[in-house]
This record gives sequence, structure tokens and C-alpha cells, in this order.
Amino acid sequence: MTRAEQVKAIGLKAGARVVGIAPVEAFREKVPEGYRPEDILPGARSVVVAGGDGPTAGAWRSPDHRVMEITGYDLRENVAVHAMCDFIEGTLAHHAIQAPSLPVHGHEPPMSMMHAAELAGLGTRSLAAHIILNPEYGLLYYAALITTLPLEPDQPLTEPACPHPGCVAMYKRIGTTPCLRVCPACLAGTVQDGRIQESTYDREKCHSRAQTYGIGSFQKGLLQIVNEDDRDRRRTMIYSDFFTKSIQSLGFFRDSIAQCFECMRVCPVGRKYRKLQ
Amino acid sequence: MADLQPGATAKLKSVALKSGATVCGVADAAAFDTHAPEKHRPGDLLPGARSVIVVGGAQPREGDWAATSPWVMQTMGTTERIQGVGRRLAQYIESEFGYYALYVPPGTASGDTPFLSLMLAAQLAGLGSKSLAGPVLNRDHGFMYWSAVITTAPFDTDGVEASPACPAPSCREMWDREGTTPCLAICPGSNGGCLSGKLENGRAVRTFYDAARCNTRVHTHWVGGFQKVLEATLNEPDRDKRKMLLYGDFFTRSLWAITYSSTNIAQCFECMRVCPAAHGLREMK
Repeated sequence: MTRAEQVKAIGLKAGARVVGIAPVEAFREKVPEGYRPEDILPGARSVVVAGGDGPTAGAWRSPDHRVMEITGYDLRENVAVHAMCDFIEGTLAHHAIQAPSLPVHGHEPPMSMMHAAELAGLGTRSLAAHIILNPEYGLLYYAALITTLPLEPDQPLTEPACPHPGCVAMYKRIGTTPCLRVCPACLAGTVQDGRIQESTYDREKCHSRAQTYGIGSFQKGLLQIVNEDDRDRRRTMIYSDFFTKSIQSLGFFRDSIAQCFECMRVCPVGRKYRKLQ
Repeated sequence: MADLQPGATAKLKSVALKSGATVCGVADAAAFDTHAPEKHRPGDLLPGARSVIVVGGAQPREGDWAATSPWVMQTMGTTERIQGVGRRLAQYIESEFGYYALYVPPGTASGDTPFLSLMLAAQLAGLGSKSLAGPVLNRDHGFMYWSAVITTAPFDTDGVEASPACPAPSCREMWDREGTTPCLAICPGSNGGCLSGKLENGRAVRTFYDAARCNTRVHTHWVGGFQKVLEATLNEPDRDKRKMLLYGDFFTRSLWAITYSSTNIAQCFECMRVCPAAHGLREMK
């Protein structure tokens, strides 16, 4: 087993669905200085990316939309990344850190997990909110580690996962795809010769729908509460379901990740894993 | 179980125990129909549901119960560990057996109403029975936390527990002697507490549990505590008092509690960063 294979095996055993490796040099073309792996960990040589499962097929099938809103992700990709970091530092004696992926200003993370997943050959951007789709499993959640350990890298995919052949056929027929049709408010795009020619994603609009309960809704609710002069109305607002759920989601209580999945619900990539008995 | 491979149920239970569950049982999804209200039955959450797998465990350790500081139990919750087992089983059922599996969200659908009662699920899966104190108790392990997975897979179901863990023999003796039990005596509903009940022939024939009152005591530093202080702060005209409310121990602990701060340990590590003894003896490349 090569070192790369060893590291990947640890990640898969810890719960990742897929693991890929990108060399740090690959980030230089599109990532501005200050945001590259070696800017985060001096001497970085490789980025290892883990993709983890989201909701089960059963959760996608539930007619109660609230299930998907708080369906309880196990976010195993993070566990897998820590398991691989432990192995790299503990056994291979090289520095390894989890790549920081939470926004530090606006929506900007110190390092893009989407771009890391692309460079590690795990998926390509889609028409659906530019979500990275793995050609085999479709929607996955990504985490990454940065290490000083040189590892044999994977190559970015040459064939994009999106558009799916079924979507290409649909586009030829009626000029749209399942995701563009289900959410014309957030998404727009064109397909030519079976490839994405143009793709627009209104992130601000999507954010306000997908993260109905979260930090933003807490801030919004709190501002309204603070600005409300009437004691009784303030009380109603504080104890309302909306504000209560916003507080719960702040604490990742029961893993409230998002409240809109419609573009992914209709996406055929990886759907075979959602067709069960 | 015509569609499932032989031994599938045993295999699933073995995976559950290996993943960290203390107990695992299976309930027939149809068994909920006579007990659970509409919209809160397995089939309402997953069409075609055939069985519900319930895992129990992650209970406080004996050391936690024995600790003399009340803050140990208040701040070192273990309940979430069992939810990880439930999530894992849902993924396992889909990938190993090819049936739909839905991990029951442990949160509430709205207000205090759960998606599916985990306590009922535990009872129907033969893992325990309701106690005078409220929680479902397992005969061998007593108090534990529960997680459940609804699936279209027809796993072998377990029967409901025939003889309840509560009241325990010593509680029955206490009832005969004093007309109460340890739990009823410690939190009497008739005297500001949450519980009351009656035993006849060693069995509970009447129980009462004031859930609303219990909630205000059990979740002192939880979302409700945050809301209470926020309201009090906004109603407080005095600047200094407002400051005291917001920086008070009560509000601070409420913030720690709702953010599950174990994932947000600290924001300064500088003394440890420079400490030569803090990083182990091994040189990294």
C-alpha cells in the first residue's frame, strides 16, 4: 500500500464515502494568495479531501418536509478528516490540520471545500447552486485536511458529473433541466453540446431560503425583538416557534443544516442510491 | 421476512452494539397505530415503513451519578452519543440491505411535540417500560437515552417487555411500608414536585407526571433559559442591571448549553502554543 492509499483507507474506514488528494500547487491557478493551503499551513504539500453522505434515501422520501430540515447528519467527513490527520501526525510524523471551511467574513471561508473537492477529483460543479456533484454518489458533504506530507495526487475529473445525460436530453427537448426548472428564482444556466455553457446562482436568494433557521434568522429575529417596544408582542416573538428554532439551530442542536433541498431533490446524479426497496 | 437475508436482524443488532448501543430492539411499525397520534406514526414519516429499530445507551456513567458536584451531570451530557449510533444504522440499513431507512430526528417537529415518540418506540421494541418517574427504564441497564430508525425493511420484531423494571422490588417494599417510592418522595407533585402515582399488588395503577413543570427544572440552562433572560433584559430599563443580566452566570451558562460548546473550546491557546511540554516529545517534519 502506498502512503496515499494508507491515508485514504483510514478516511474511508472512519466513515467517508470518497477520499481524494490534490497537490497544493493545483490551488495556485484559481485561489488568491492568502487563501492557499501553504498560506494556512507553512510547508503544505498535499490536501486530502473527504466526502461524506448527507441524508439517507429514506429521509429524501419522507413526505414530512421538517424531517429533512433537521434530519441529523452525522458529518462523518469531519470525523474522517480527523482520523486521517491523527494517522499522518501520529504514524507518518508530518503536520496535518483540518482545513478551515467556515465563513470568517460574509460567506467567505478561509479555504473553499468545493474547490478542494474538484481539484482532488471527487466531483464537478453543477447547475444546481454550483454544488459539487460526485459522478457516482451525487450530493456529498466535503471536508479537507492540509498536510506537509507529499502524497500521490488524484486528477480532476475530465468528464463533468453535471449535466446528467437525462438532463442534457431534457434541455434539448424543453430548454431547461430539473434543477433550473424547480428553482428558477435562484438558478439559471444554459447547456451546449452536453456541457454547462453558462451558470448563474443567486447565492443571497438561496441562502435566505435554504437557511431559514440559522444564524441569519436569529439575527433577524433578535433585531425585530429589540426594535419592538410593546412588551407583550416582544414576549410573543421571543417564545415563537420561529425564534425558538433559530436558537436551536445556532447550537447545531439536532443538526439543523438547511431548509431547502429542492434543486438536489430533482437531480438525477447519484439517484440510483436513492432507489431502494 | 421473506425479502431479507437470513440473520439480517441479528447482523443489524450486532452492528448497533458494536457502534456503541447498549441495547437494540425492533418494533413493528404498525404497532404504533394504536398508541401514537396521526402524523407521528412511522408510516407518516416514511411511506411503506415496516419496522422501527431502536437503540438505547449513552447513559451517564456510574461515576457521573456518584460525583458529588451537581455540575458534573449538568454540564457533561452524554445523550448525543446515542444519536450517532442511530444515524450510522440508518446509513448501514440502506447500504447493506437496500431498504429505505430514516433516522428519526430527535428534535421536535413543533413546540414540544417529537416527530416520533422515542419512549414509545423503546417500549414497543421491548427495550423497557415507563417508570413512575417518567423515563422508560430497561430491566438490565435502567435509565438510558434512545435513538430510532424507521425502515421499509421487515426486520424480525421483538415483543413488548412482559415484566416492567419499575417498580423495583425495593420500591414495592417502600410503598408497602410508607405509601411512596424513592422517585415519588423526592419530587412529589402534591408538594411542588412533578410526580405522583399509586401502586397496587406491586404494579403502578396510576401515574402522574407534570411535564411542563419538569421541563423548567430539567432544562434550566437551555433555549428556554436564553429566551427568559433575553425577555428580562429587554424589559429592564436600568443599563447596569441589563449588563448584569447578560453577563450573569445564568445567561452565560445558557449560552454554553445551547451552543454545545464542546465544539467551540477556546479562542486563545498562546500559553500552550509556546509551552515546550505541551506538544509531546515527538518531532514533526
